[in-house]
Amino acid sequence: MKIQDLETLNAVRQKGLAKFKPARPRIAVGLGTCGIGNGAEDVYQAFASAIEARGVDIQMARVGCFGFCAEETLVNIAIPGKPMVILNRVKARDADAIVDDIHSGAVATGRALCKIESWDHLTGVIDYGEGFPDIPKWNEIDFYKGQKKIVLRNCGLIDPEDIEEYIAIGGYRALLRTLRNGEPERVIEELKTAKLRGRGGAGFLVATKWDFMRKAAAGTKYVICNADEGDPGAYMNRNEIESDPHSLLEGMIIGAYTMGATDGIVYVRAEYPLAVHRLEKAIAQAHAYGLLGDNILGSGFSFHLSLVEGAGAFVCGEETAMIASLEGRAGRPRPRPPYPAEKGLWGKPTNINNVETWFNVPVIVNNGGAWFTQIGTDRSPGTKVFSLVGKVKNTGLVEAPLGTPLKTFVYDMGGGTGTGKNVKALQTGGPSGGCLPVDMFDTPVDYEALAQLGAIMGSGGMVVMDEDNCMVDVARFFIEFTHSESCGKCVPCRVGLDQSLRILNKVSKGQATSADLDMLEDLGPMIRDVSLCGLGQTAPNPVLTTLRYFRDEFEDHIHEKKCAAGVCEDLFLSPCENSCPLHMNIPRFIQLYKENRLEDAFESVILDNPLPGSTGRVCQHPCDDRCRRAGIDDAVNMREIHRFIADSAYGTEIETNVMKRLLARRLPDSGKKVAVVGAGPTGLAAAFYLALLGHKVTVFDENSEPGGMLRFALPEYRLPKAVVAREVTFIKRLGVSFVCNTRIGVDKTPQSLSKEFDSVFLALGTWEASPIDLPGVQCQGVHHALHFLDAIAHDKDVRIGQKVIVIGGGNAAIDSARTAARMGADVTVVYRRQRQDMPAIPEEVDEAYEEGVKFAYLCAPHRIISDGQGGVKAIEVQKTTLGEFGVTGRRRPVPTDEVMRMSCDTIILAIGERVDTVFTGGSQLELKRDGTIKVDRHSSETNLLNVFAGGDVVTGASNVSNAMSHGKRAAEMIDIKLTGEHRFARLFQAFGYGQVPPVEPAAGDRNTSPLLTPLQRKSTFDEVMLGFSPEQVRHEAERCLRCDAKGECVGIAAE
Amino acid sequence: MPKQVKLKIDGEYVNATEGQSVLDAAKANGKFIPSLCHVQGLSGVGACRLCMVEIAGGARPLPACTTPVQEGMVINTVSERLSKYRRMIIELLLSERNHVCAVCVSNGHCELQDMATRLGVTHSSFPYRYPRLPVDASHPRFVLDHNRCILCSRCVRVCAEIEGANTWNIVSRGVNSMVAADLNEPWGDAESCTRCGKCVEACPTGALVVKGKAVEEMVKRTQTVSRLATARGGSR
Amino acid sequence: MKKVRLATTWLDGCSGCHMSLLDIDEGILKVAELAEIVYGPLVDIKEFPENVDVTLVEGAVSSVEDLEKVRTIRERSRIVVSLGDCAVTSNVPSMRNQCGVTAILERAYLENAATDAQIPNQVVPQLLPISRPVHDVIKVDVFIPGCPPSASTILNCVAELCAGRMPEPSLRYKFG
Repeated sequence: MKIQDLETLNAVRQKGLAKFKPARPRIAVGLGTCGIGNGAEDVYQAFASAIEARGVDIQMARVGCFGFCAEETLVNIAIPGKPMVILNRVKARDADAIVDDIHSGAVATGRALCKIESWDHLTGVIDYGEGFPDIPKWNEIDFYKGQKKIVLRNCGLIDPEDIEEYIAIGGYRALLRTLRNGEPERVIEELKTAKLRGRGGAGFLVATKWDFMRKAAAGTKYVICNADEGDPGAYMNRNEIESDPHSLLEGMIIGAYTMGATDGIVYVRAEYPLAVHRLEKAIAQAHAYGLLGDNILGSGFSFHLSLVEGAGAFVCGEETAMIASLEGRAGRPRPRPPYPAEKGLWGKPTNINNVETWFNVPVIVNNGGAWFTQIGTDRSPGTKVFSLVGKVKNTGLVEAPLGTPLKTFVYDMGGGTGTGKNVKALQTGGPSGGCLPVDMFDTPVDYEALAQLGAIMGSGGMVVMDEDNCMVDVARFFIEFTHSESCGKCVPCRVGLDQSLRILNKVSKGQATSADLDMLEDLGPMIRDVSLCGLGQTAPNPVLTTLRYFRDEFEDHIHEKKCAAGVCEDLFLSPCENSCPLHMNIPRFIQLYKENRLEDAFESVILDNPLPGSTGRVCQHPCDDRCRRAGIDDAVNMREIHRFIADSAYGTEIETNVMKRLLARRLPDSGKKVAVVGAGPTGLAAAFYLALLGHKVTVFDENSEPGGMLRFALPEYRLPKAVVAREVTFIKRLGVSFVCNTRIGVDKTPQSLSKEFDSVFLALGTWEASPIDLPGVQCQGVHHALHFLDAIAHDKDVRIGQKVIVIGGGNAAIDSARTAARMGADVTVVYRRQRQDMPAIPEEVDEAYEEGVKFAYLCAPHRIISDGQGGVKAIEVQKTTLGEFGVTGRRRPVPTDEVMRMSCDTIILAIGERVDTVFTGGSQLELKRDGTIKVDRHSSETNLLNVFAGGDVVTGASNVSNAMSHGKRAAEMIDIKLTGEHRFARLFQAFGYGQVPPVEPAAGDRNTSPLLTPLQRKSTFDEVMLGFSPEQVRHEAERCLRCDAKGECVGIAAE
Repeated sequence: MPKQVKLKIDGEYVNATEGQSVLDAAKANGKFIPSLCHVQGLSGVGACRLCMVEIAGGARPLPACTTPVQEGMVINTVSERLSKYRRMIIELLLSERNHVCAVCVSNGHCELQDMATRLGVTHSSFPYRYPRLPVDASHPRFVLDHNRCILCSRCVRVCAEIEGANTWNIVSRGVNSMVAADLNEPWGDAESCTRCGKCVEACPTGALVVKGKAVEEMVKRTQTVSRLATARGGSR
Repeated sequence: MKKVRLATTWLDGCSGCHMSLLDIDEGILKVAELAEIVYGPLVDIKEFPENVDVTLVEGAVSSVEDLEKVRTIRERSRIVVSLGDCAVTSNVPSMRNQCGVTAILERAYLENAATDAQIPNQVVPQLLPISRPVHDVIKVDVFIPGCPPSASTILNCVAELCAGRMPEPSLRYKFG
């Protein structure tokens, strides 16, 4: 049936509506490529059989994708008079129950993602009805909140293979009106008002481009749709065509009429078979209904549209290369001018626009350009569709007004990583775009803002990256892509990218130098400025942005041969080793233990980590987050294994023998003297290695005993003093002297030390409480957490009351709370965010709960109420809500007006620590603004000659293993400075050990250390974690997958 | 009579004909802009990117060979940035294939060699790639040595645009691109080749040479190509 | 005035650049006025001396011996000059780079040997996987391309260096 006028169009519309919004229930299954990949075809069949089996009157339909790919299969349920409900993660097995529900007029709330009461297709509004109060509206759920569907207006709702459904929601009316009015200038006028810009990435004004083409000499003219979407991580156009091909056709026909084109081509990738299929069908239907071909809608206007499948060359997305490809030549771009609007396909005037640009045309014609400008920003009106993928929980297609900040996409719609790991960067624009760091997530998404940062909006790829992504590897990946997609015509792109790729390969292998980075930075702007087409002109962006925002990572690869993300596999042994700040060879000690070589195992452990008894108890164990065993069940408990090895060695023959081995291997006396300031974990680690390197080491500390935070901040029940004392003794036996009760800055200064010693290493802790602006803080009964813990550790008489409030969420807060609980108090921890946001070790929080500590979340201290005699009566806390996401990927707490009073007599503030800068002793030591010392990242040197620094005094409060890694590195650097040689590696023993990964690693869950019962814990300071039994260690060791064993190692191989 | 336009090149007013490229206009006025892929009379391709010039008001440099002159244009052909980029391009070309001047028959008559000297390139800061490339000596009269080819496509254009034989094309892509005869056959088997030798005359380096010629004799006559092109219908 | 300590050496090259150096004829007198030649193929000293002001290096870095030598030269010289195409581009020695060391050795010592075919494993220094220009291995301060550079180019350059100036690239510099 040919549509000739409004009347016939309306007749078809009624026919379509009867299908789209029937008088009986309708089940529509989302069958985009994403849905089909998740089994939607089976789901569809299951529904069909369930309906048939029951003989119920329910209509089935196939629709496209509603955007939320992570929740596929999506199924729409429309019961007449009720809201349309979208079910998520539907499986074939659910079909029977769902059909039964529908038959009884219900939808199971538990299966529902959201509901739609009324939908504006922008060409017509469809009202479904109200009801289902328990199901959230579609734009109330995180993923859709903030989205605005203009391009995706019909996607996932209508049947893409039925033109009548498209007409039902008001489709082709804009075309009819345009042809009837016969004023192509008006279309251009509306586009001009709308300030619509090309959605392919370059953002050229569509009205200008169309006007140019319209004015070109009459005769054969072409319009082309660029659907050659080829960037990694982008699939917007595929989904749009699959879900709503007629919006594209309508846009193109209007465009053809406006510009006077006679022929049109959709250039779509051959890799998109479903899009090709649906588009072909749509073209055939449009022909049949008189919307394409000769004499469209009886207006006398003729337009022929065909589809060409591209072979998948990325460069064919460039318009002149696409034209070459369409003409049957190799897809290589040519210089412009002449522009295609003047001389395009077969030398005729040609207009090329992206899929999304065409999609916007019918609704702008329909609703007017002024309507369009109400959405988005002034310079970039409208919306843009992005494919949000990568390390993000809610993957899918999101459409939002231009100007929406990046963080809205990543956190609000995307839900962050969803794995507890931190987001590191966002890649926009694919191989032509750039990587932006988290602290730029406030940037609004539009053409100019992103370009200014060195990235581009591009056609809409948005890849979220977390701490497991190496930025060197990301840069390398994209250059590898553009390198292999470069057409080879112009020199900078062809050879420049090849040289860039060679350098990046060297960086990821740890073979590059600083000069190589300089060369990359020279090549980038040259390739950008000089290349012939968009591919080359944007190809350096991934390199230049990663170099700009993540230069540290490049330098780590070059100078330290480290890839912190654990991606560049030439640079690390295993994921656990790589994540360990001390780079302990974890697989080795596990294997040595399995081989019953306890002495070797202990030597391996202590050479990598001089305080294994302590770290075995209190380390934050970053290794757990990287363990590949977690992919099977749960991470190997490496912390407990090395604790067991240390505990079994200390005080036995093993300790004595290993000490003998170490003393035998100690390098000859160098005659150099080194002063270490601070006997905490940083200082102890440095002293250990410096002594082994043959230097005379003296450690100064203000306390009465060595150990620092280990001894005086960590409570006995977590880390017994005896353990620390044993480890200090071990280090003393290596020849390290300790001078206690000596405060630097008071008794000695860095400068006086550097006169006495050849080298000085500053390794002080952060004992000073951060200042807080809290009324009443001067009351008696208000303690600072570290001072409180320190006093307890010194066995001082510390008075606390019956009701203790601890403020904070870090380890110091939990330590204080559990200590106070052991002293018999009723303890409540007040924290301004939620439990999952706490920086404290999660197990410690669990144990605190078990011990009866209470927690009040989403509360911030407001003021302390005095009892009138200088003591504390209560604290007022302000309830908080979680607002926008901050750079740490956590929502910022926002205080509300609601104030709550909590009575108490003691308050412990654990809200952060800082450096007490007394130690500088008036020297010229250069400090950063927060009082920490400024050092060279790689050499640990301060601005003073022969003075080095590391640990908390450089980084601010951190944790034991990070602190020790600073001590270890400083020892290596100090030794290089003292001797001019690289001798550090000589300290390490080569062990031969099994290199065969277990064919069948031990089954079974992760072992955890047995604990004292909560009741026992409440009354004593005895150690809570009792440590593994020998059976547990063996089983745990056998759970290790030995990721370090690479290649074809068979049998016992030497290291 | 084509319209005359007036423009400014390096601070000097010059006259040009509408439709002329900036490169041709500069040349006609005795100004030198480096270029390797351009041959007067053949179509411009903008492949070597040496002729990039700065045009006032433009964001990025543009190739002089394919940018038409416009009334009032202000052009800069020399700047620190342009010289740096031009030197890098020469260095990239030297590093790409095996340009061993000492044993090349075009030594002393090579546009790449001369351009390197002219632009002050004394060495390549980029590491040499040393690709393994064939030498096609299957043609009775000529030799194609891929080691010396800079993919300027002069041979492709002269064959298509003047001889009309369309023997040459470029196959593959990116850094793997190669000049190929007919359907990527040995040149000697290419039936379309008329043995006219214009490709050899147009070739700027020792990639296309005449068999049996010694170093001193192997002089290319690019001007002949230009003259033929002009005779055939003027500058494009 | 203190004389400049000048050294020259050849690595993997044909010694043509040294021939060209000798072609400076009476120019040598001028050089002798300004410089003392402390090391070179024409000087008896076997060990590369310390504190050299200018060293002219001819030839590419092709063997383990070349590599060690050139590193020593860098350590002990204030200014290193890559003299000639082999040093600057690796030139003819690099023509083997496409084939690989094994193929080259087999061709030279086995296939083409008339008698007693064997690949030498002593006396002859071991070849590196590829032959490289000098600046690929060490920092080079001055480049004089040419195969060989003309006598006058060399003389000019040496005179400039002896006078304490860095020679500017000139239109006399030419590959090949």
